[in-house]
Amino acid sequence: MPREHAVMPNTSSAADTIRPRRSRQRRKQLTGFLFVVPAVLLVLVFFVIPLCMAFWMSLHNWPLLGKPRFIGLDNYVSLLDDARFWGAMQFTALYTVVVTIAIFAVAFPLALFVDKGRPLTKFYRTSFFLPMVVGFSSASLLWAWLMNVDAGLFSPAAFRLGLTDKPVNLLAEFDTTFWSIVIMVVWKTAGFNMIILLTGLQGISAEVQEAARMDGASNWLRFRRITLPLMRRTIALALILSVAGSILAFDQFYIIADGGPRNSTVTAVYWIFSQSFVSFRLGYGAALSMVLLLILVTISVIQLRLLRTPEGM
Amino acid sequence: MRMLKIVALATIALGITPGAAFAQSKVTMWSRSSSETFMPTLIKTFNASHKTQIELQIVPNTEMVQKYAIAAAGGSAPDLLSLDLVYTTAFAAAGQLEDLTDLAKSLPFFANLSKAHVGAGTYQDRIYGLPMSADASVLLYNKRLFRQAGLDPEKGPTNWAEIESYAGKINALGGDIRGFYFSGACGGCNAFTFMPLIWASGGDILVDGGKRATLDTPQMRSAIDLYRGLVAKGYVPEGARTDSGANFYGGFATDKIGMSPIGAFAIGNLVRNYPHVEFGVTFIPGKDGGKSSFAGGDNFVVTAGRKNMGVVREFLDFIYSVEGQSLLAKLGSLPTRSDVADEALKALDQRYRVATQAMALGRTPTSPVYNDIINSSTGPWKQMLNEVFFGNDVSGSLARAQKTMQSILDSAGK
Amino acid sequence: MSRTARSARRRWLGETRYHLVGLTASLLFLAPLAWSVLVSFKPSLEARQPPLPPWPVEGFSFQNYENLAKFGAGIWTYSGNSLTVSAMTVLGTVIISLLAGYGFSRFQFPLKNVLFVLIISTVMIPFQSILTPLFLILTKLGLQNTLAGIVCVYVTLQMPFSIFMMRNAFDSVPKDIEDAARADGASVFVMLRRIMLPLVLPGVATVAIFAFLASWNEFLAALILLTDQKKYTLPVLMAAIRSGQFGTIDWGAVQSGVTMMMAPCLALFLLLQRYYIRGLTAGAVK
Repeated sequence: MPREHAVMPNTSSAADTIRPRRSRQRRKQLTGFLFVVPAVLLVLVFFVIPLCMAFWMSLHNWPLLGKPRFIGLDNYVSLLDDARFWGAMQFTALYTVVVTIAIFAVAFPLALFVDKGRPLTKFYRTSFFLPMVVGFSSASLLWAWLMNVDAGLFSPAAFRLGLTDKPVNLLAEFDTTFWSIVIMVVWKTAGFNMIILLTGLQGISAEVQEAARMDGASNWLRFRRITLPLMRRTIALALILSVAGSILAFDQFYIIADGGPRNSTVTAVYWIFSQSFVSFRLGYGAALSMVLLLILVTISVIQLRLLRTPEGM
Repeated sequence: MRMLKIVALATIALGITPGAAFAQSKVTMWSRSSSETFMPTLIKTFNASHKTQIELQIVPNTEMVQKYAIAAAGGSAPDLLSLDLVYTTAFAAAGQLEDLTDLAKSLPFFANLSKAHVGAGTYQDRIYGLPMSADASVLLYNKRLFRQAGLDPEKGPTNWAEIESYAGKINALGGDIRGFYFSGACGGCNAFTFMPLIWASGGDILVDGGKRATLDTPQMRSAIDLYRGLVAKGYVPEGARTDSGANFYGGFATDKIGMSPIGAFAIGNLVRNYPHVEFGVTFIPGKDGGKSSFAGGDNFVVTAGRKNMGVVREFLDFIYSVEGQSLLAKLGSLPTRSDVADEALKALDQRYRVATQAMALGRTPTSPVYNDIINSSTGPWKQMLNEVFFGNDVSGSLARAQKTMQSILDSAGK
Repeated sequence: MSRTARSARRRWLGETRYHLVGLTASLLFLAPLAWSVLVSFKPSLEARQPPLPPWPVEGFSFQNYENLAKFGAGIWTYSGNSLTVSAMTVLGTVIISLLAGYGFSRFQFPLKNVLFVLIISTVMIPFQSILTPLFLILTKLGLQNTLAGIVCVYVTLQMPFSIFMMRNAFDSVPKDIEDAARADGASVFVMLRRIMLPLVLPGVATVAIFAFLASWNEFLAALILLTDQKKYTLPVLMAAIRSGQFGTIDWGAVQSGVTMMMAPCLALFLLLQRYYIRGLTAGAVK
């Protein structure tokens, strides 16, 4: 195949040098800008504008049907003593902390485990990752069934193995519901975090590790002094993704537990969804979203600061 | 204009096969999934005999309100709708529904249409909803299990003491047979089946024209005690605690449940899909006798501004005809026109008569925020029921739910 | 015992322990998926019983799939919708993020960092919270209740991840390659297509797979933005089936639906795993 330069004589660079530098630079700037225009437009139309609209709506009593009415900050005022919203926020915080730790506690050992190039390692890596590619809605439908007291797996199996003296309805109490869902989420997302951490592990040069081994550093010491510090950025990334994802949790609590038992697993997004699309209080829902947004951004900024490496992200 | 055209075309095209596309008028209609047993057949029959063609879509129960509201806001709402009657006021208040008052009053049999439906379909003295299908809550009991437990299979319980003692006897049959079933994590189901217990005993949930909630009443506490007792004695399967209504009649259909308060819709469903389950139907009783029911079902409503009253009239004439009513009854809905009810039920199971009577004495609570306080999965009613049936702090739960419910009712007035 | 024999024995023990742990863990991760797939092939009645054992005892059956096919407008309509939406999302995401990734990686222009941060930071914002205004905008554009509308939303939701990924993919291509090509007089588009594209293909594969998985599985936006039953995607159909016949759950049909939803994801991943992980790795390191 003839390459482009074969047909095009090498003259343009000479022309370029003649042309004023600034205009060339400007043309290049324009080209770069044009490349990103489609993405920017898309994000503007389908994200930034809706976001601004959401803020605008939060200042209104905005029913789905009927005329919106401007009410200033009233939504934000009534939000302050919305016990159900703050209950949902509290639950979301608990869930986020627990599930982030749980995922990390499983994903890190898995990453170390599959870091070695032994036979079957690839198979293990794939197996651990596989649940990740299944959607949250399918996974939730699947686990809703596994957790079902009559037709599911866990409760009947425990009963038949003699572990319980009667079928235990996992979704009847908060603790069992909560931990079952945490396990489900760990099952589903540990593989993803494992891969992220693995990239960090593999980014550490073998020579550094080898040199440390030569110096007689123990496994633990090498892990603490070399592996962990060099992986700070990767760990930060894994944690940020995990926290951001967990704060926004919805599907699993909606599909598996229906927010139950007794509304004890209603997450923040669930409550916003419920206010917006069940009660049709769009303005109020928008105000709740704004609060959640603020909290989320604050947490992310703090996280980035805390885990920032000296050379910056 | 369009109506004139339809009428003209219909007159001209009379006798021509419906295949003549130019002569057709197409309207869209939505109906919720619990009416899946009768709506498709009903519409098919209508389409076969009319120039007007209705295109029916079944929407999942839980998504109906949401889907319709969103479609309406987006301008893609269907022309016609079979809407759970409790929501009629909410949509009428939002200005979403066509005023059917004149049309309704012009129907010669208007006075015989289900009072519950018309009542729930009336907002500020105008009628926005007319009966589409009817469903009353009744108590279903398993005759085979009654016989095995030494009970009279022709006689269902008539008061709460009997419910408890029958449930105990059936439970004693052992194995995985249980005396009683209800969906313990479902607001809507229990409005349908638990509220009648209170009404039949003389209590009420919403008073002052639906402006005030009265949860902590002696009747409510007694009814709670009944259910708590059934749960505590192990007469209710473990799965009931978390049943969000998905298994509303599925429990009874397993043939392993003694009694369960369900709706008339289950009669046709059981007969068709679970023919081996031998069951009786009785009223939901009060504490010391008496009876009540939740008169539910769907209202027929029309999306505002569609200018298709001719079609509406045509359709209503069809469903309220003896043919339409018989078809509905045969497929699982109760008749909605009382003067032809006997005729419509003639060929049917005796058990439907109990349900029809229940419908007549039934009540329908209405409120523009009905969904928020009762049906919503995050609402106070559902949470309270689960707490009081299975938890330890009845008084605290009642107080909390009362407070939440009242604050929702109050903010709705604003 | 000689030293070499002892160390061989120790190595063998270590190896055995490694694989014992590995196999057990793999089993735990794979079991739920296998359980669902196996149960979907049980006869309908058997599928309503606890899945012990998971495989069909009373004979292999397609009953659950037949029941599933009966819902609404037929399973092919819904699968078709899902496929259309996913394919369009993948195409849109790849093209737009490829261009943007290149732009952000190789060019300097005013507001570049602001725009980049703007796009990336949308990942922080729950799209659930902007569904209502999104819905109003789609209505204005005449895209409400259309597959094209939902594709626009999905492509937008993929932007932060995809652009981050593509920019990093371009960043990791040495500048000399480009300089050489530029010196040869290749235009930017030619350079992008002929020289850069093959080099960032792993990134493209990652972006494509992520876009596919996200759009194929997305539930909430589809639930709210698609109101016409004939336009439902598979996850929305599954929610409908769960409450399809009031009062009973057909767990067999649900599991066959879950299997249908999982199958393309698993197949695609297993086929493209190498690109996928490699792309993901490149993204995470930066």
